Amino acid sequence: MTTTAPVVAFDQVSKAYGEVRAVDGLDLTLRPGETVALLGPNGAGKSTTLDLLLGLKQPDSGSVRLFGTGPREAIVAGRVGAMLQSGGMMDEVTVAELVRLACDLHPKPYRPTEVLSRAGIAQIADRKVNKLSGGQAQRVRFALATAGDSDLIVLDEPTTGMDVTTRQAFWATMREQADQGRTVLFATHYLEEADAIADRVLVLHRGRLLADGTAAEIKAKAGARRIAFDLEGTIDEGPLRALPFLTSIDISGQTVRIQSTDADATVHALYGLGVYPRNLEVAGLGLEQAFVAITEAEEARTSC
Amino acid sequence: MLNTFASRGLIKLELVRALRNRKFLFFSVLYPSVLFLIIAGGSGTTDKVDGTGLTVATYMMVSMASFGALTAVLMGNSERIAKEREGGWVRQLRLTTLPGHGYVLAKTASAAVVSLPSIVVVFVVAATVKDVRLDAWQWLALTGAIWAGSLVFAALGVAIGYLATGDAVRPITMITYFGLSMLGGLWMPTTTFPQWLQDIAKWLPTHAYAALGQAIEQSRAPHAQDLAVLAVSFVLFAGGAAWLYRKDTLKA
Repeated sequence: MTTTAPVVAFDQVSKAYGEVRAVDGLDLTLRPGETVALLGPNGAGKSTTLDLLLGLKQPDSGSVRLFGTGPREAIVAGRVGAMLQSGGMMDEVTVAELVRLACDLHPKPYRPTEVLSRAGIAQIADRKVNKLSGGQAQRVRFALATAGDSDLIVLDEPTTGMDVTTRQAFWATMREQADQGRTVLFATHYLEEADAIADRVLVLHRGRLLADGTAAEIKAKAGARRIAFDLEGTIDEGPLRALPFLTSIDISGQTVRIQSTDADATVHALYGLGVYPRNLEVAGLGLEQAFVAITEAEEARTSC
Repeated sequence: MLNTFASRGLIKLELVRALRNRKFLFFSVLYPSVLFLIIAGGSGTTDKVDGTGLTVATYMMVSMASFGALTAVLMGNSERIAKEREGGWVRQLRLTTLPGHGYVLAKTASAAVVSLPSIVVVFVVAATVKDVRLDAWQWLALTGAIWAGSLVFAALGVAIGYLATGDAVRPITMITYFGLSMLGGLWMPTTTFPQWLQDIAKWLPTHAYAALGQAIEQSRAPHAQDLAVLAVSFVLFAGGAAWLYRKDTLKA
């Protein structure tokens, strides 16, 4: 039965702190093998969602199931490896000792030396845990989350404090985990990470799921592709502003930048104006801009 | 079975850490013996503590062994637990197979391992330097009673660790520690206190704790009141620790 159950299933989950609804009727299903990014502005409910998922907090209503069981049962069965954002660690012990403990605590452990080298911390194995840089500490936390053969790996802001090189190495390791058929769920505020790594992106806003799809689908949902071109001579703004599917326009000097929900139609109509656009470029919005567009639209909708 | 094994890994690591902490080892293992020599060092072999029939050295040996055990189980844990709770280590452990009480168990067990040498070292110093002589059964019974009795204060340490946070935990631990040590008569016999203070002191768990050892030295049964004070204290501290622990767990 557990083999067919979804990896994660949130059913109408709500959690409030006093007046603030941190998570508000959340429905969510994660399937095996997915790499899922959880995005959201600060206070969107990302941390609460992960706490609920891991059984660190209990929902006020609704149910959270992992592999068809409660979170605690799934953890005890060794199916979940997790890394918390500011996950404190035992101090005054060495990296190797702490990793060995994590292996001891896992029902399906890997060898500690294996875990150390995979997380890229073999060379700092004898260092005291409280004497590490931010990036090194993150790698140790990652090692703790991958000490055994878990089916689901949950990472809260895993690359905070890492420099660019370390971050790339980290994601390469992470991809190996995903390639072995594991489900990986990570919260991040680096949108380029979500864009590059996740095959599914969840956008959380005020405790509700605002968007759920591939990075490309999220960008499409945000609408809008960017069209940029140069025009010679004096630019007549009126006809440009009247172009179909246009959502915004910016003219500076001879350069015109347009956002459109249907770039094909807009460009077609542009040629119909009888102008000669040069250096025409049509590009999609980055995930970051899409994310901003989606959350801003929601802000605007809920505030009026 | 698996969970017992899991707890063992953490106990081992807690112990390694405790044994690595020189300052902690000095204060819990050597300091009580040093204090014993300072207090009882100048006393003659016939100097008695009023109303006990015990020499100053014999009497103070139990006081200092109890004090050492108290230090080992109370000082380390309360502050560590508070710090690790705040830092998120306790949360991280909750994402492992370690059962919820495994953390508290590991802390208590590692403190108990450190408290044993702190008791024995005081005994050895008292026997070699101050010629304290007791029967074999008395040495064994003393070690067992003081060691087992330290569980009462281990529970108190855990309770404080779950009660206080941040800057508050150290002063609370210190006040509790010094208050219980001094008023309980671990540093000087309570018979030297004014009467009103003696009336308070005899209800303190530390006083009952040392009285247990002194009863063994006098080869008599312990007072029922002392046993009752220790039992009630244990129930109170352990119950409080369990309640605070559960509250903390729900809060996450």
